[in-house]
Amino acid sequence: MPATVNALLYDVALTAYILAMAGALGHLVGRREGSWRLALLATQAGWLCHTVAIVVRGVELRRLPILTLPEIVSVVIWVAVLLELWAERQYRIRALGAFVLPVVVGLGLVLPSGLRALALEPVIRSAWIWVHVALALLGLAALVLNFAAAFMYLLQERQLKARRPSRVYYRLPPLETLDRLSHRTLTLGFPFLTAGLLLGLLWASAAWGSVLTWDPLALFSLVTWVVYAATLGGRTLGRWHGRRAAYFAIAGFATLLLTLGASVLLQGRHGA
Amino acid sequence: MSGTLFVAGMTHRGAPVEVREALALEDDKLREVLTAVAATGVTDEVMIVSTCNRVEVYGVAEAPAEARAAAFRALGAHRGVALAEVEPYLASVNEAGAVRHAFRVAASLDSLVVGEAQILGQVKDAFELARACRTVGPVLNALMSQAFSVAKRVRTETEVGRLAVSVSSVAVELARKIFGRLEGKGVLLLGAGEMAELAARGLMDGGASPLYVANRTPVRARELAEALAGTAVALADVPAVMAQVDVVVACTAAPEPIVRAADARAAVHDRRTRPLFLIDLGVPRNVEAAVNELDGVFCYDVDDLQHVVESNRRERQREAERAEALVEREVDKFLARLRDVEVVPTIVSLRERLEAIRRGELDKALARLPDASPETRQVLEALSQSIVNKVLHPPIEKLRDSSRAGHGRTWIEVVSEVFGLRRPPGGRSR
Repeated sequence: MPATVNALLYDVALTAYILAMAGALGHLVGRREGSWRLALLATQAGWLCHTVAIVVRGVELRRLPILTLPEIVSVVIWVAVLLELWAERQYRIRALGAFVLPVVVGLGLVLPSGLRALALEPVIRSAWIWVHVALALLGLAALVLNFAAAFMYLLQERQLKARRPSRVYYRLPPLETLDRLSHRTLTLGFPFLTAGLLLGLLWASAAWGSVLTWDPLALFSLVTWVVYAATLGGRTLGRWHGRRAAYFAIAGFATLLLTLGASVLLQGRHGA
Repeated sequence: MSGTLFVAGMTHRGAPVEVREALALEDDKLREVLTAVAATGVTDEVMIVSTCNRVEVYGVAEAPAEARAAAFRALGAHRGVALAEVEPYLASVNEAGAVRHAFRVAASLDSLVVGEAQILGQVKDAFELARACRTVGPVLNALMSQAFSVAKRVRTETEVGRLAVSVSSVAVELARKIFGRLEGKGVLLLGAGEMAELAARGLMDGGASPLYVANRTPVRARELAEALAGTAVALADVPAVMAQVDVVVACTAAPEPIVRAADARAAVHDRRTRPLFLIDLGVPRNVEAAVNELDGVFCYDVDDLQHVVESNRRERQREAERAEALVEREVDKFLARLRDVEVVPTIVSLRERLEAIRRGELDKALARLPDASPETRQVLEALSQSIVNKVLHPPIEKLRDSSRAGHGRTWIEVVSEVFGLRRPPGGRSR
């Protein structure tokens, strides 16, 4: 019975997110105040529903629901939506939902469709695993927003550079606001990602006696980390303009998605 | 007869400026006109909106045509303009048309530059002036307060007034699209063209500072720097200054570009990640075309700015269509409310009339029954009450229905006639 309730709650939340996405995109291309309100309301309702779903799942499992890949993706979405609601207010970017929600919905739609639940080997069941996953997960959520901000930045930069404003130009916020948001989400996400990965590595060396074992998720994660490290380094130390930083942020997110894909398709220590 | 709401007047569309200016009066004279028109008794309520683009009389009168003639005769009298001279330019609308017009004017949808912000203040002033002269009553009061709230909704819910439609203000708007806030953004002004000065002023008004001014003639640079609270710099220092500022406004008569790609590249190199916005108002252009290809540099020449102006105009037009739809809904709502209000006085006097008859007849009957028990009195009371209610029911329903259907006036007449009601005073039954 709790399992069906949980599934129902999850479906309701996802439906609300889809509705919110439609509203947000409608607001981006159309110009109706109402569709933006609908998007905001649906996002909030979906998030509340999602919260309950996660809690129910946790109670049902008697543990934090962040051990299997679907669980992790679900919580990443949950944090990303929360961050989106915050950033939309904080930076006054009404168009943000139109760029974050498609990613959220995309992730949400693959979630129930046969992603294998990755059972972890008994050896790695320890308290550290929670911290490792939780940190990496917070990092991932911030990077979802980072991707959206970078994407919006590139769109707006193109508009301004081309000197021929289109409809989207009027809906997107100032370039520097987008740059600030993308920098903020990167500096928020990167430390979490780093700490999460570091913990994973340390802990892998303790468990298996070697730091770099042939585990696809770990290796892909390292590649992702390197791309994001380069982005952050380029911004703080180099003379990178928003555009190059945005390209790197998008590349980082692409490797991140590849990492997720790899962990599903390839087998390693993370997956059984 | 009850009064009709009307608007009569002329705007930039129908009347040439010579005619409009002949009727434009300052507040003191308008006060006299308002009082004079009200004194003639042709209007129940009247107010006058007089701006450089429109002279309009808003009012309630039994005969709007007469009221319009009286008002424009009085307006013309101050400059010796005969009514016959302005009559051909006058247009008027009544009732629903007048409500729509009032809402559209206040929301700046009827303006020469659609969405400009001044008109709302001007209408508010006109209303206050008429109120001070005690020439407004319930109808104009309701109309204007609704018009102001419609204007506010149009402002907040559409972007009709938000987009810049002049070259210099578009430059400022673009700076905002790039930098967000302008506070603390440095500006370099090259040359001394009027449009460049306007753009620089706009940026400074938005919070941009500091300002540097460079000119071929150092004296002119110093003068302009002083006028704009900036610092004059030598032409030779321009490349160095360019690395520090965020916006460069160029408007010189130089035959060749004075901002070269090499200079811009050096400036960009020194400024790390901050974007650089160049506004090139010079013809021939002051900035080399290759500059726009640099990463983080945005360069707009006069044609580009004009292009954005056009695009903003189109966007405003689309927003205006949304605003028109909003106004249309508000007009319907307002008319429905007015119509409900219009039959209320008749219903009240109808009730009063029948109640008076009932009381009179009941008292007469009771006088003939001195020994009546309290029960009998109660029965008689209830009987008379119930007869009155049954008689009242159809006409009241008819009045309400007809007013909602838009022909309440006829039924007000009929019911008043049939029941021998006195007309509501002052003709303000609407």
